[in-house]
Amino acid sequence: MNQFPLLSVITLLPLVGGLILLALPGARLQKWWALGVSLATFVISCLLFVWWKAGEAGMQFVERLPWVPQFNIQYYLGVDGLSLFLVLLTTFLTVLVILFSWEGVEQQLKPFLALLLLLETGMIGVFVALDLVLFYAFWELSLIPMYFLIGGWGDAHGTYNFLGRTLSWRVYAALKFFLYTFAGSALMLVAILVLYIRGGTFDLLALQQIGLAPNLQFWLFLAFGLAFAIKVPLFPFHTWLPDAHVEAPTAGSVILASVLLKMGTYGFVRFCLPLFPDASRQLGPWIAALAIVGILYGALVALVQKDVKSLVAYSSVAHLGFVMLGIFALNAQGVAGATLQMVNHGLSTGALFLMVGMLYNRRHTRLLADFGGLWKQIPIYGFLFLIVALSSAGLPGLNGFVGEFNILLGAFQMNRAYAVFGTLGIILAAWYLLVAVRQMLHGPLNKAENMAVRDLNVREIVTLAPIILLFFVIGLFPNLFFDKINPSAQAVVDALNRPQPIVSMAVDSER
Amino acid sequence: MRASDLIHLLPELILLGGAALVLLLDIVWLRRAEERRRQLLPYVALGVLLVAALGLIPGGGDNVSVATMLVFDPFALFFKVFALLAVALIVLLATPYMQTRTPFSGEFYALLLATALAICLAVSASNLVMIYLSMEFLSITSYVLAGYFRQDRKSGEAALKYFLYGATASAVMLYGMSLLYGATGTTDLAGLVAGLSSGAAGQSAWLVTPAIILLLAGFGFKASLVPFHQWAPDTYEGAPTPVTAFLSTASKATGFAILMRVFLVGMGAASMASQWISLLVALSVVTMTLGNLTALRQTNIKRLLAYSSIAQAGYILIGVVAVVSDSTRIFTGINGVLIYLLAYLFTNVGAFAVVTAIEDATGKLEIKDYSGLVRRSPWLAGLLFIFLISLTGVPPTGGFLGKFFVFGAAVQTRMWVLLAIAAVNSVVAAFYYLNIVRYMFFVPAAEEGEPIRVGRPLQGALAITAVVTVLLGLIPGPVILWASESARSLLLALR
Amino acid sequence: MQQAIFIILALLTLGAALMTVITRNLLRAALWLVATFFGIAAIFILLRAEFLAVAQILVYVGAISTLIIFAIMLSRGIMDPDQVRFNGQWGVVGGFAALLFVVLAVIVTRVPWPAAAGGAPVGDAPADAIARLGAAFVGPYAIPFEVASVLLVVAMIGAIIIARERE
Repeated sequence: MNQFPLLSVITLLPLVGGLILLALPGARLQKWWALGVSLATFVISCLLFVWWKAGEAGMQFVERLPWVPQFNIQYYLGVDGLSLFLVLLTTFLTVLVILFSWEGVEQQLKPFLALLLLLETGMIGVFVALDLVLFYAFWELSLIPMYFLIGGWGDAHGTYNFLGRTLSWRVYAALKFFLYTFAGSALMLVAILVLYIRGGTFDLLALQQIGLAPNLQFWLFLAFGLAFAIKVPLFPFHTWLPDAHVEAPTAGSVILASVLLKMGTYGFVRFCLPLFPDASRQLGPWIAALAIVGILYGALVALVQKDVKSLVAYSSVAHLGFVMLGIFALNAQGVAGATLQMVNHGLSTGALFLMVGMLYNRRHTRLLADFGGLWKQIPIYGFLFLIVALSSAGLPGLNGFVGEFNILLGAFQMNRAYAVFGTLGIILAAWYLLVAVRQMLHGPLNKAENMAVRDLNVREIVTLAPIILLFFVIGLFPNLFFDKINPSAQAVVDALNRPQPIVSMAVDSER
Repeated sequence: MRASDLIHLLPELILLGGAALVLLLDIVWLRRAEERRRQLLPYVALGVLLVAALGLIPGGGDNVSVATMLVFDPFALFFKVFALLAVALIVLLATPYMQTRTPFSGEFYALLLATALAICLAVSASNLVMIYLSMEFLSITSYVLAGYFRQDRKSGEAALKYFLYGATASAVMLYGMSLLYGATGTTDLAGLVAGLSSGAAGQSAWLVTPAIILLLAGFGFKASLVPFHQWAPDTYEGAPTPVTAFLSTASKATGFAILMRVFLVGMGAASMASQWISLLVALSVVTMTLGNLTALRQTNIKRLLAYSSIAQAGYILIGVVAVVSDSTRIFTGINGVLIYLLAYLFTNVGAFAVVTAIEDATGKLEIKDYSGLVRRSPWLAGLLFIFLISLTGVPPTGGFLGKFFVFGAAVQTRMWVLLAIAAVNSVVAAFYYLNIVRYMFFVPAAEEGEPIRVGRPLQGALAITAVVTVLLGLIPGPVILWASESARSLLLALR
Repeated sequence: MQQAIFIILALLTLGAALMTVITRNLLRAALWLVATFFGIAAIFILLRAEFLAVAQILVYVGAISTLIIFAIMLSRGIMDPDQVRFNGQWGVVGGFAALLFVVLAVIVTRVPWPAAAGGAPVGDAPADAIARLGAAFVGPYAIPFEVASVLLVVAMIGAIIIARERE
């Protein structure tokens, strides 16, 4: 397809915009510039949706250039039904997050916005890269801005003693985030090199055809899987997440929960399943079991949180458990449901973090006990918060329901017990979210500080409205999305169940 | 040796003449001249390096052996270019640094040119006698450079420790060489491999392994491999910062170049290769682990970079032990070493350039003095950040490219345990590199400081190192080709 | 005859080395070290390794010892004869030295060295040996010889730097 390099533009525009931003004077101009760049990126990315060739399972908008020809590394981009909506989610949320950050970031707004744009490039790159080295580069690229966002703009309170150094808590969270992810990716790099030596290429699609011995698949799956599992995070690799989420500035939390975590689940779908089909079938049930542990654990821990941001953070562990359950149901329904649910979680958890952040900007606290009766004081906020909570809880008619329903159907086909436990997770989710709603919005308005809180302003409503609109669009017209997801999901599952050619192209190395 | 051989020695002769020229200029023309004219000296040195680089063109790398002592192959050419580049960068680093610290800088630049000469000879040396002499030449020059500030106790201590360890290491190495000579009757590397694989003495279990260990004392000293590294922290800390940058890059690379040539050419037969490979695997593991674990506890930036440099030597060794003789492979091990060393040169000199800039302005070298650097000098903080992520091995930087190649070679030879240890180590290393980042970006400064002024030559060094560090990650193609070509000449010897 | 000369030289060298370690005055230690180097050079000559002997004298006596002596003379405080001679580690060092000796002895005795490797036949006239040495310096060893002389120059520069007056 020799046409306009749409994906490159979407990927690199934020980077270029971010670099230009660094040279711009004046907070007002910087804000508008950042918003303009992200908005332009979003509008251009919508062309993907408009120009999409329906019913096709393969890669679209492919761009392919040699990068390091001696080495067969390519600049190779493409999207299919599995990544399309993740790209759109990224460009969409970045706009909202930048709009949100117009106020509330007291200092160093310019680097903050530039980092957000840089982060956007990294995330989109992860979703569209089809060359393993390119993917790895974007994967790591997304790590650095997030590290700075958490460490530099996180909420400053408390210190932590770590290896003899006194770190402020947000820096500790940033460091933990970086080191966890970096540890995972170190092994992934080794696995990528193994694949290259086996297949002679870093081309993801070509590598799917080489047919690896099941034993090797097993180890490579673990190496890739560890990197992704840390990112998701799959229980028991989740311990970095609450720290990072709670400490990050609101914009960071939103991006982290809504997009960065999806890099992990997306990695499983895009890399682990197609590259290591035998290992996926072999390990699938175990991972699904871990996913269920995560669903229940996340929900139960969320239930006892006193800080509403922690509550949302732990709810992410539970929701991502659903996504993992769907993926490792290893059937088309599960994978498609999981793919949509990635987007759903991005929207509803993103909205939750945004709303928590809006309240925090007013009250400078996030403890549930400090609120109460807010509905009377700020009705618009209350109403929108209720919708967002219900979306997150999976109310039929809203987006969350569609995804979870498909995941559970998929899980049911694989193992009924998994579906039963999954359903239990949905009930728990409704429980902790309604607890939060009750404690914040209902009850008597008996605290003096809460009586002076302003309701949402126009900018904030504009920030939230598109998300809430999408809740309904996805909830009411899910086929608009499944039409595009399904062929690719089906292709992944078909490839999984096709007998593999055991023709090893390995050029075994002897000294 | 014929007169026509001199064409190959052109760069060496230019460097020798250049060093003499700098000395003479300093004495007869500049010493009594006003300050401004004296500042020309480093530029004269840069000019000499440039001319020497041009001198590489006529007889550089066409696989010629001169008087059985020196061989001019692409491998040597790679390291000669490397040495000239490195010394040029060091000159840029040293220009403002020396100016503020001592009125006597003539000898300093002359000695720097002499180190370039020593490296050019050492990497070409194909005979044990020549290897020994050129290594000793490099060492003696380095001792003097390390102790250049005679009034400064730390500089003196640096030189003395370096000297004592160096003298011992070279004596031990010489003993190893004498064993090899005794067994084979030759000091020529090519003759060595023949003598060792045919003669009764060469077959003896009591000869090869002890000789390898004794030789490693000398090479390991230069490359700062554990357990021959003990000089490094104190010397790195006490030596003038540009000299530290030199020791951690060019001098280290020379150690690796000689190690590779001696082991691959002199002991390339399979039975011997397995012996030095298993020894080097062990050295690699202890070097990276000990370097990293000790680096975790450092509070002085030069010491931290010293231990980090020890750890990096451990990673580089992975490339040496993962060597494969088939030069058509993408990963031959040796090309990984060359790429790694080149990336490390720009990265580490860059890091030391930032350290030099800050030391020049504030006189401070503790990591906590870097607090709030991003407010004070956002450019310096940003550049140091680039160098640190390159040291960590994050794309798209040269450091990533180097790791990619040595890890790839290890994957190819299936050294899983070594790889696992290296992977864990790179995470540990990320921790202490990020610790510097933490101070620069997240910890507010104790007191407000003026923005740090950086002199022109240092700006040049910073720009070159940063741009190359990033370009190596973005456009690695040419360097990969160059390194692979250069490694090929050495791999032919391996059987 | 040769055996006897060797034993005498070896004893002299060892004695000088011992004095280097145990003498109280650092400058004397350095001078004893020079004597040790000369002894070793003499042994090299005995073994008909004339080039090594010359290199030994040039590098060790000429360059390194000069540096050491300059360094000692210019550093106040370390010439004090009341300095402690042995620190707490001397036992360990002695042990290692003994161990090293054993290992080297084993190596030297176990390896089947080729007889008279590359050596000239015994009984050469000394004059001939010097002629051969001269020829070697301008022939095959021309480059190493030149390098050794450059090395000496650098060492002299180093000595000048150390000896320089206060800045």
